Amino acid sequence: MIRLLFGRLVQAALVALMVGLLTFVMTRFLPGDLAYRIAAGRYGYDIVDSAAAAKVAAELSINQPALVALGQWMFDLVRFEFGTSLISGQPVWEEVSTQLGHTLKLAAVAILLSLLIGPPLGILAGLRPGGLLDRSLILISTGMRALPQFVVGLGIIIIFSLTLGLFPVAGHDHPGHLVLPALTLALGLAAVSNRVARDAMRSVSETAFYTFGRTKGLSEWEVFRGHGLRNVAVPIITYLGVQFVYLIEGVVVVETLFAWPGIGHALVHAIFGRDVPMIQGAAFIMGLLFVALNALVDALCHLIDPRERRT
Amino acid sequence: MNTVLKVTDAAVFAGNKQLVEPTSFELAQGRVLTIVGETGSGKSLLAQAVAGLLPDGLSATGVANLNGTHFDLAKPASLRPLWGRTLGILPQEPWLALDPTMRALDQVAEGHRLVRHLERAAALDEARRDLKALGVEDAEGKLPDQLSGGMAQRVAFAAARAGGARIVIADEPTKGLDVARRDDVIALLMKEVEAGGSVLVITHDLALARQMGGEIAVVLQGQVIEKGETEAVLSNPSHDYTKRLIAADPANWTAMARQGLQSEPILVADALSKTRGGKLLFSGQNLKIHRGEIIGVSGPSGSGKSSLGDILLGLIKPDDGVIARLPGAARHRFQKIYQDPPSSFPARITIGQNLDDLIRLHGLDRRILSALLKRLRLSEDLLQRRPSDVSGGELQRLSIARAMLLEPVFLFADEPTSRLDPITQQETVDLLVELARERDCAILLTSHDKALIDKTCDKVIDIAAA
Repeated sequence: MIRLLFGRLVQAALVALMVGLLTFVMTRFLPGDLAYRIAAGRYGYDIVDSAAAAKVAAELSINQPALVALGQWMFDLVRFEFGTSLISGQPVWEEVSTQLGHTLKLAAVAILLSLLIGPPLGILAGLRPGGLLDRSLILISTGMRALPQFVVGLGIIIIFSLTLGLFPVAGHDHPGHLVLPALTLALGLAAVSNRVARDAMRSVSETAFYTFGRTKGLSEWEVFRGHGLRNVAVPIITYLGVQFVYLIEGVVVVETLFAWPGIGHALVHAIFGRDVPMIQGAAFIMGLLFVALNALVDALCHLIDPRERRT
Repeated sequence: MNTVLKVTDAAVFAGNKQLVEPTSFELAQGRVLTIVGETGSGKSLLAQAVAGLLPDGLSATGVANLNGTHFDLAKPASLRPLWGRTLGILPQEPWLALDPTMRALDQVAEGHRLVRHLERAAALDEARRDLKALGVEDAEGKLPDQLSGGMAQRVAFAAARAGGARIVIADEPTKGLDVARRDDVIALLMKEVEAGGSVLVITHDLALARQMGGEIAVVLQGQVIEKGETEAVLSNPSHDYTKRLIAADPANWTAMARQGLQSEPILVADALSKTRGGKLLFSGQNLKIHRGEIIGVSGPSGSGKSSLGDILLGLIKPDDGVIARLPGAARHRFQKIYQDPPSSFPARITIGQNLDDLIRLHGLDRRILSALLKRLRLSEDLLQRRPSDVSGGELQRLSIARAMLLEPVFLFADEPTSRLDPITQQETVDLLVELARERDCAILLTSHDKALIDKTCDKVIDIAAA
């Protein structure tokens, strides 16, 4: 366990380094005049001129050589010093941490919802492969995963908000606002996790130990509880680790669609505004978050699977 | 004598096709009934029908009378309440039958707790007692992958019986086991019989039947052709097939003519040693193999038989030692025949395609294959099929054809017949040896069956850690 977490720690450092490097390079290569875009972000497109841009460039030392700038950025990273937003003037850390709170809330609810939808359905389908539920699920899952998230989100808005009037479309001041964006994310996650659960259940139910559980005299429910659940849970939870990538990608789209003030939403705005410290800060935190969540998955598998505990 | 299980007219069908003809037998309390027959004779189907465990697509008819209650075999669901309580069904591969994520003790306790409805603590105590009685109390806290094969066997046995079953059904309980573990299983089953339980054994192993005693029923093509007291039937068989079955037991083979060693050596190994999983398999192992020589290696599983063969082929590296192969002989002329035929053929293409690829790769003459097939008594039609549609014996002969196609000078046959029934085993070994003699090909033959090695080989080597 200790070794495992140490491995993740090393990984976190590497991810931090890579994300730091990549965001630096990528923001440098964004098209357009950096200073001009930032000035436009600050003062508005109508009143910006080259004098304002020059002022911004001088203030932010945008014209310093790339290597010097990179060195500066890396040095700041090591001290967890992300600088201040070029647009709002607030410290990046402050902005990102509030947004992160919102995003984590959304992501946690989405994962919880997806776990309530995906695996139970998948397990039921896996117990009767080729059955009606199994065949319908594969159709729905494929469709759901093939649709881009903004389409799913729009569909959900149209059904639950505009037609049924059950939940508000956008905003973030009471828990009801969480439901639709979380559901959009959850459906995308469940579309895949139900397949993973289905395949896992199917292969577990075909094992000799599952049959042996039956011939030992246990009822179908006792066999499932004793020998199915734990063996199925491991691949499902392991797969969650992979799904976090999808979640992070989804958060960017869904937060924008539902105007959820999270880190994905902030990242998109930062990119439009060429708010380089914000881009770097947000990407950096998301990278570390990914490693942290995977460490959590490892720890969970550790708790569930006694074979893991032993090593 | 008290009859605990009386089966009347049990038959098995695949759709309308009858696989097992109506068969009746009785099992008495404290007795053993062994059903023997070759692979595909339907003996396993018979046992599965009686247990209500037939695979999908197969159906049964007939009646089972258990302790006075009638059960319709056509309704397998009605038999399920018997599982664990009356019928203990011993799994074929104990390692696979144990949940890899659950401690051995808990797997045994399950029967006591969930089937006998004991309190958790009492169930654990009972399970502990079971394991202790079988001499595996140190398995308690272990997971299946930490158990040795013998330990897993005992844990599975305890688990199968924990629900209180006194009739044990054991389908091929010794398949692929080496002698030590085989004796282990027999002792387990006999212990059950001595304690007043009844055992139904399905096997192709006549030695097993002999050791278990009791009664025997011989099945051929879905029909019981002979039955009676095991001792009497085996010492004085009346049916021709039973006689052949007995003659096919390696212990009854006539030893093959041995060959001298005048020819040149094709493979010389000097001071080989190999460690696997921290265990020294052998060291200082010397070996000289001549053309056309048949060398046997026997020993329990895990003793390094396969590793030695793979080292000679160059498939794995020894930790120490040198191997000199016949100069000028291409690497593909050192070949291997695997233990499990289905897994040594690609599953999704026809056998013919597999062999044609080989012929094309090495620029061989297609007529060699035809001649080989004829020699191995294999029909050309088999080439159109996939490995899963061919019997184990045919498939193993096809794999001999595949190896011989490359005109090998050395062939490593790794337990080539351990999954085949005795008659098929004898045919296969005979053909393998004949072909090798004709072609001056040397063979390294491994088997857990000492008699088979002794009767077949020119020379037997012992592998040992010096």
